[in-house]
Amino acid sequence: MNLGFVVGVIGVLILSHAAYSTIQYRGLLKIMEEEFSRPPMNVLLELIVGLALCMWAALTFPGKFLSIHPDSDENRTVSLPDSSEFMIFNHRGRLFPPQIDMKF
Amino acid sequence: MGSVEKRSKDVMSDIPTFSAENLQNNLKVIQNSRTFLSIIAGVLAGIIGFNGLTGFVFYFVVMLITSVGLMAKAGFSADLYFDSLNRVLFDGFLGGLMSFVLFWTFAYDLVHIF
Repeated sequence: MNLGFVVGVIGVLILSHAAYSTIQYRGLLKIMEEEFSRPPMNVLLELIVGLALCMWAALTFPGKFLSIHPDSDENRTVSLPDSSEFMIFNHRGRLFPPQIDMKF
Repeated sequence: MGSVEKRSKDVMSDIPTFSAENLQNNLKVIQNSRTFLSIIAGVLAGIIGFNGLTGFVFYFVVMLITSVGLMAKAGFSADLYFDSLNRVLFDGFLGGLMSFVLFWTFAYDLVHIF
């Protein structure tokens, strides 16, 4: 796939690793019988890195912005809409013998 | 001109027509970005363990950063890609809130309550 998707997957993997570290940290706190106030500093750093990567992926993966000016350089070729009103059937293809593939 | 055009209601603007399918594409891009980032923000809020109002403040902070990022992606000149600036900044704000709360509670249960 393209780069944005890979970066997004890496960001999600970093976030899930941080979640697992927090679960282990909570288990450790239960043993030591202390209160949980916030995750440890390395987990917070990992979360910030994961958030930055996911943000970059979210801004590049969904696609580019297209200009809406009708007379800009990238809008020069126009495409007819693919609706069924523009299809014609009265062409040379109707003279070909039909291919019958019927399996019983 | 063969492209799909739509006349805007504002007679005073100097661009009377614009390509509506490109505008729809741009709006879809913003929607996808905001939805994905609100899910990520929810997972993050659940891992850190936010309770109550702090979580919603975190969501609005992430959405503001998203708005800045989208403006940077549009090159800070929104009228090349959108008809009004408000769309870029405030379009998917409340729509992502539901996804945020869903993934916030999901991640909070997973990490802290188990």
